[in-house]
Amino acid sequence: MSIFHNIADAISDAAYIWRQEMRQVLRDEGVLIFFIIVPLVYPLLYSWIYNNEVVRDVPVVVVDDNNSSLSRQFTRMADASADVKVLCHAADIDEAKSLVSRQLAKGIYYIPSDFDSNIYGMRQATISVYCDMSIMLTYQAIYQTATSVTQTMGAGIQISRTQPVTKREAEISVQPLAVSEVPIFNPAGGYGSSVLLAVLMLILQQTLVLGIGLSAGTARENNRYHELIPIDRHYQGIFRIIGGKFLCYFMIYAVMGAYLTMAVPYFFSFPQLAQWQYLLPLMLPYVLACIFFGMIVSCIVRYRENVMLLVVFVSLPQLFLTGISWPQQSIPAFWQSISWLFPSTFGVRAYVRLQSMGGTLSDVNVEYCALWIQTIFYFLITCIVYRHQILLARHHALERLDRLSRKLEVQEQIKRRKKKE
Amino acid sequence: MSNVWKIIIRELWILWKNPIYGFCMVVFPILVVMFFTSLLSQGMPEQLPIGLVDADNTSTTRALSHRLDAFQSTKVVEHYATVSEARHAIQRGEIYGFLYFPKGTTEELLSSRQPKISYFYSLSAKMPGSLTMKDLKVISSLGSAAVGQATMRARGATDAQIQAMLQPIAVDLHMVANPWSNYNVYLSTVFVPGIIMLFIFLITAYSIGTELKFGRSKEWLHLADNNITVALLGKFLPQAIIWLAIFFSYEYYIYGVLHFPHEGGAWPIIRLGLMGVFSSMGFGIFAFGLMPSLRMSMSICSLWAVLSLSMAGSAFPVMAMDGPLQSLSWLFPLRHYYMIYQITVFNGFPLLESWFHFAALAAFMLLPWLVIGKIKNAMLNYVYIP
Repeated sequence: MSIFHNIADAISDAAYIWRQEMRQVLRDEGVLIFFIIVPLVYPLLYSWIYNNEVVRDVPVVVVDDNNSSLSRQFTRMADASADVKVLCHAADIDEAKSLVSRQLAKGIYYIPSDFDSNIYGMRQATISVYCDMSIMLTYQAIYQTATSVTQTMGAGIQISRTQPVTKREAEISVQPLAVSEVPIFNPAGGYGSSVLLAVLMLILQQTLVLGIGLSAGTARENNRYHELIPIDRHYQGIFRIIGGKFLCYFMIYAVMGAYLTMAVPYFFSFPQLAQWQYLLPLMLPYVLACIFFGMIVSCIVRYRENVMLLVVFVSLPQLFLTGISWPQQSIPAFWQSISWLFPSTFGVRAYVRLQSMGGTLSDVNVEYCALWIQTIFYFLITCIVYRHQILLARHHALERLDRLSRKLEVQEQIKRRKKKE
Repeated sequence: MSNVWKIIIRELWILWKNPIYGFCMVVFPILVVMFFTSLLSQGMPEQLPIGLVDADNTSTTRALSHRLDAFQSTKVVEHYATVSEARHAIQRGEIYGFLYFPKGTTEELLSSRQPKISYFYSLSAKMPGSLTMKDLKVISSLGSAAVGQATMRARGATDAQIQAMLQPIAVDLHMVANPWSNYNVYLSTVFVPGIIMLFIFLITAYSIGTELKFGRSKEWLHLADNNITVALLGKFLPQAIIWLAIFFSYEYYIYGVLHFPHEGGAWPIIRLGLMGVFSSMGFGIFAFGLMPSLRMSMSICSLWAVLSLSMAGSAFPVMAMDGPLQSLSWLFPLRHYYMIYQITVFNGFPLLESWFHFAALAAFMLLPWLVIGKIKNAMLNYVYIP
């Protein structure tokens, strides 16, 4: 009977803490910002930023010293390509360079004066490409357009040089081996489709950690003795406290998680190949690991604002450690091992593979297991640090009680003495 | 003047007493510099894993796949029996792409029936994906060329003739200022200052806000004879010196020790450091003046600073964003910092070309004048509510 009684008690205590925590989240505007507003608005902002996905019409200057029909054909074809736009012709390289320095153009195509005579003389002709290397994407656009245009023109020239019987024969003599290019995942090579999915998962983790930390900071500051855990009938026992708080955060992030990982990609047509029966089991350990990770961090901070100083700046390094911007295989071993501390490392990798490559749960088995290990590990640490906090609070309370009773004793002694006199 | 001195002494004491300043002003920035420069120290990723599906398996296809091994940025790690197996390997994250020779490739090649080989790659992660694509593209066109080369050599053509025949027009690429397309140069020059600016924003707002929070604001203004300019000057002078020391050491490290390209020379680098630090402090003070509450101003600062990493346009260019965003990018100090960096330091163009961004950063430095009265009012009359 008493076991059932205890369990019922524990559940009602947890529910009480759950309600308290929920109330605090709604009342504290700092927490509200990071739990509700940032996860709602930030993904929309980022999606907007990366919505155009690819760079089109990068302006280039053409310096045409040749001015023949072939060189004009090159200019026309480059201008007609999707990625590059010919801004203007310049008289010489210096004039073109001044346009680049004024940020009007991002690169220069230089066609030397012997361009067409080389082609007609069966010698290799060259086109010089000068790229402003300050942005990788514009450099790629300018260079790749130049290569593909010269290849297309080259194929035409090659065919005109052969004397085939049939057109097919000409094709084969120019290209004996056909090549087909198959970009299978994220075929358009969109920047947003590649980075945004990772950003979404990272937003989930970072806002959770920030929100939990702020809410713990507020709890401390509102407490008379700056304790994280108040002395209260309901706050007896680690599991009740952790369970109650956990339920509050989990409730909010069940909704936010669905919004971030499913609704946002849907709104902006980012890749959404993940099937729910794989996504759901992945998100469960991810959110759990993030919550417990956040609860541990929240025990470190003394003042609520400090959590921002600790957590915000780590976001970018965390994004790099996921292997989306910089390949996972090239991350040095030291940082590789640091990255295992963060749920985002595994969460992002697994989510990107499900969502953008349509993988199944067995494809992300390593990450999935890692997330569960993190969940268990962080849960145990949470228990330890909360136990420590409870003991600390109790210890401080006993000290205060001790001091009070001693004070009372002294006062009574004084009173007694006065009476005697 | 003696008031400023008194406040400086007091501020130094605060910076010393509260460990969070030491962490955020010195330890974390150094960690971030170390993180990015060591993470990207390779410059270009090497040995990205790729796969091979060789259904033909003849000496010709093997010769081609051996050539693929010689490439620097990719490495064949696995042979797969079928295309779908290789695709699963991509989904598991084991490889970034693969080359596929269908059965009968060599036979068709020898009988001039133009066989078709394919290369598959995933752009889910854009940078490794496009590097893989580049290598696979080169190897497959080499394959095509190798066949033509053999025929032509048999007919007695010279090397120059063969080259002119196989590739009538060559592209002569000049990668100005960063000929290695070193990623460390791209990322560490923008993201590291971006994070240092984040700290400057936050610490600036934090140091004013905590005066209110710990109930020291009246004492602070009293020391300055209720002159808010003197109070702010005394408070931020020591901080500015620390920030400048950090920023200049970072710049010395990347340009002096790691030899990042700096066509513009030393003076633009120093000027950029000064502008970056002071404009960020200006923004931090302004953010606090706008919302004189510790928590709100710090939230604004952190959200703004994190957004500015994207709005700087160093990874995804601003010119490819929507029109309204292009104008909004002016509101981010890091955007102007980045533009001045790439114009005057990286490319070494004259200062005049970046005048607009210079003026913008100067405007950020002057922003505190707009809210100085409000800060004074807050310091004297507000009470901190947790």
